[in-house]
Amino acid sequence: MNRNKHLLLWSSVGAFLLLAVAAASENFGKEWRLIQKSARTPEGAVAVHLRQVINPALNTADRCVSCHTGMAPGETGIFGDRVLGAHKPVFHQPSEMGCTVCHGGQGRATEKADAHGDVHFWPEPMLPLKYSYAGCGACHTPPKVPNLNRLEWARGAFERLDCMSCHRVDGRGGTIRPGGGGMEGPDLSGVGLSGYDSGWYEKHLQNAAAANASAQPWKTSFGAISDADREAIDVYLSTRVGSSKLIEAKAAFNSFGCLGCHKVSGTGGDAGPDLSRAGERDPGQLDFTHVPGRRTLPDWLKEHFRSPITTVPGSQMPAMGLSENHIDLLTMYVLSLRRRELPSIYLPRDRVQVLRFGVREFTSDGETIYSAFCAACHGEDGRGRRYTGTQAFPAIAGADFLESASDEFISETIRQGRPGRRMPAWAGEAGLKPEEIQSLVTHLRRLGGNVQAKADNAPPRWVKGEASAGGRLYASKCAGCHGARGEGGEGPALNNAVLLSSATDRFLVETIGRGRLGTAMLGFNQPSPTRSALSASEIEAIVSFIRSWETKK
Amino acid sequence: MSAPVIEQRTALRVFRDNLLAAPRRLLDSAFRSGKPHTDRTRSNFVFGNVFLHLHSVRTHRWTLRWATTAGLGIASTAAFLITLVTGVLLMFYYKPYPDAAYDSIKDIHFVVPTGRFIRNIHRWAANVMVVTVILHMARAFYTGAYRKPREFNWLIGMGLFVTTLGLSFTGYLLPWDQLAYWAITIGANIAQSPREVTDALGITEWFDPGGFQRLLLLGSDTVGAEALIRFYLLHVMLLPLVLTALMAVHFWRIRKDGGIVRPADADQRLAKREEAVYPVFTEAPAKTYQLAAIVRGRTTAVGRGPENTVPSMPHLFYAELAVLMLTAAICLALSLVSDAPLKELANPAVPENPAKAPWYFLGLQEMVAFSAFMGGIGIPSIVIIGLGLIPFLDREESGTGEWFGGPGGWPLVKQATAFGLGTAILIEALVIRFGWIREWFPGVSQLVVTLINPGTVLTLIYGLYSVWLVRRYNSTRAGALGLFTVFLCGFLVLTIIGVYFRGPNWEFYWSPSDWPKH
Repeated sequence: MNRNKHLLLWSSVGAFLLLAVAAASENFGKEWRLIQKSARTPEGAVAVHLRQVINPALNTADRCVSCHTGMAPGETGIFGDRVLGAHKPVFHQPSEMGCTVCHGGQGRATEKADAHGDVHFWPEPMLPLKYSYAGCGACHTPPKVPNLNRLEWARGAFERLDCMSCHRVDGRGGTIRPGGGGMEGPDLSGVGLSGYDSGWYEKHLQNAAAANASAQPWKTSFGAISDADREAIDVYLSTRVGSSKLIEAKAAFNSFGCLGCHKVSGTGGDAGPDLSRAGERDPGQLDFTHVPGRRTLPDWLKEHFRSPITTVPGSQMPAMGLSENHIDLLTMYVLSLRRRELPSIYLPRDRVQVLRFGVREFTSDGETIYSAFCAACHGEDGRGRRYTGTQAFPAIAGADFLESASDEFISETIRQGRPGRRMPAWAGEAGLKPEEIQSLVTHLRRLGGNVQAKADNAPPRWVKGEASAGGRLYASKCAGCHGARGEGGEGPALNNAVLLSSATDRFLVETIGRGRLGTAMLGFNQPSPTRSALSASEIEAIVSFIRSWETKK
Repeated sequence: MSAPVIEQRTALRVFRDNLLAAPRRLLDSAFRSGKPHTDRTRSNFVFGNVFLHLHSVRTHRWTLRWATTAGLGIASTAAFLITLVTGVLLMFYYKPYPDAAYDSIKDIHFVVPTGRFIRNIHRWAANVMVVTVILHMARAFYTGAYRKPREFNWLIGMGLFVTTLGLSFTGYLLPWDQLAYWAITIGANIAQSPREVTDALGITEWFDPGGFQRLLLLGSDTVGAEALIRFYLLHVMLLPLVLTALMAVHFWRIRKDGGIVRPADADQRLAKREEAVYPVFTEAPAKTYQLAAIVRGRTTAVGRGPENTVPSMPHLFYAELAVLMLTAAICLALSLVSDAPLKELANPAVPENPAKAPWYFLGLQEMVAFSAFMGGIGIPSIVIIGLGLIPFLDREESGTGEWFGGPGGWPLVKQATAFGLGTAILIEALVIRFGWIREWFPGVSQLVVTLINPGTVLTLIYGLYSVWLVRRYNSTRAGALGLFTVFLCGFLVLTIIGVYFRGPNWEFYWSPSDWPKH
């Protein structure tokens, strides 16, 4: 019995010791306690207790500030380790909004790995520091962002015109007034969000005109600027929303034709998945089989941009051949596509504008619309593209096309698309507005070198060829690519109603005669090594034959 | 008027006295017989207590030797109690609905104070329970405890074994992570494995017991919300109730079947009693004995002298408490060292590779890799039926109560261990090196593989070996000893291979570091 008594004694002592160890590590050994103990203020040590930022409206209880004590509400002047430092100045007070709203991660956790989400399989890990500004996307949707080209042009104008000698933007530029009185001009980093006086230019001019020798230096140096520069500066200012990196990322998204296949906030094509919440995806739900490195969403996205088909088996997205810098920007943008449920008092103006009032996320100039919607398929330069495993996308900025296609034909094609082809109809709710299509057409002509359509006084239907002879010719010359009944094959379908109703006879005759640049369609006016040329009457016969599908349908 | 004053004072004094006496009276009313100082009060202490009266009042000294039981039964009971307490705590936070389930486990793990620790304890105690139940069964077998009069309790014990595995398995799904989801998918496919036979016979359309079993288990075609609520209900209510009921019968029968098994000559082999440590009958137990004499049949005391028994209070209870605390300490230590796993949220679109069942089913999964029916249903059924039949086939008496008692004894068990390990490793090596029928004759019918696969071949060899033992020693017990040992060895080998040496697509790998990188 004594042996049993000893066993009882020692195993009980052991059990209680283990419990004591567990209790001690739960209560004293916690990382945040040790970190807070090391914190010092000019008055001495800080009180060690669990700190948190609670915002019931945002449904956050962020205990991050238990370690990042310098960011806790009411804490100032803490020095010590880097982790204790204060937050850098930002628009939103961390002590009010909490941390996870912007940075993601797990606010309720109190250990580093858990809170930052570095734990294997945590579904909402913190955004990597590099992509921190993607966190803005949880609540904000910056509207009217141009493509990279236009953004560069806008910034170029702003810098070239020396605006930064007085104004501070995104942490650069500005002059402090000699003898006090603060900055020479106001900080413009957030004016895109808060709004600015649209009459700024006139006011600057008036001020400059009224200036005397003793006035501030800018008044004497300010001069007139061109309308184009003013437009550029307005583009630049309206995109200063306190997050220049996110704007650049969004500009990249508007540069590679992503919207041609993907929807964001209800606008875009539907060949690919809707991306409106693509930044919230749980890494645990993604297939990392072919992704090297860490199992994080950014790594997955990057690999996906490099090679969509290996990352997502069966994906129809072509490898776009993007540079690593662009991949980085697109990754940042996709990470920003998150939708936090917000109470109305926290709903920012830009998101309301975009989601409720239909304000566009892209600028409505033709160049940006073209690069945001069309560039992926028709090429940045409008010369068409062909990806491995997809049909060829026709060139639309070639002189052959632009000369024979009227503005009405082009805009009708954009509106109604090409049934049976990858070209969607853009007239729908998710598509483009009439004035946007109009600016697209204008931009197309500019892309092709300002080629205007040749005047066409003939009626839309003037061809009176012999349809039966045309049928024989069609079978031998055209059916190989366009299909025996015009249903399409390697070449586009010709029997589709949109084409037949919107294309004029002249367009068809011209296209057959001159061919289509960038596609396998060579003009039949000239003989080629493999076939003879067609005469004008033969071409008209073929057009008549093609027209016969219109009535049969 | 002085009388009322006196009366008032008296009442107050009575009140005061009663108040002071209340703690003592509370104890008196709870433990009716007073402090357990004497044999009579000690006996009263046991049979006057609803929880303790499952024990007999006196315990044989043989029972209290550590080598008799190694405390395994109590250890598994203790592990059950620990899972019960921690499980109830976990239920405060757990939400049995697919996505909420995963989030609530995450909350328990990361946010709830000591939640992770409690969950670790629950997980480790559950594993300790499975291990101790298996070991306890082996102990009962090797000491011949299944023999008359304990046949029925052996069957109850088997019920407890199966219920324990069921509890552990149902708990596996609850976190709703990838690990859980795919382990349960495998379990459900094993339940469906009779289809392998009905498919081969072409009768699944009319007779589909496999599909029915799977549907019964999952409540749907796939592992989903219905499966989760089923597993939850089984895990927190039905199976614990079944287990508790079986445990009550199990314990009761230990007492009614004459206590823990001991050799016929146990009394002679025990050292002489130290009177000081084991006081016996300081009072004449007249009444107790008359009662015991009335009870018909085989009870602890009837027909035997009390010399080598000691009062259960406190001797047995010290031993039991000691094992309880030791088990608790082991579970706590393991919980401090190692966290319970939690992978990513269950994703039906991305199968785990390899998807592994809980470790105690990996031996089965190893056989399932060849034939789901034989590995998952056929061979386990043979084993269960065999185990259940043993007490009724082995009616011998020699060696009862002795470790490895009976004809052949320890040398036989050693030989059987070598034979069991050797055969299992040999067959596995053969299969891993050269493949099996399917690789040799790709067109062969599934029925052939179902009948002839490493699992059935191993079972057959083990069976023949045991028949040979019966003939050689002219004893059923010898055959049973050998059979139990080789099956235990086979289970061990298959489980270890399943746990450590199987990688993606159930291929053999020496270590996970050799798994193909993607």
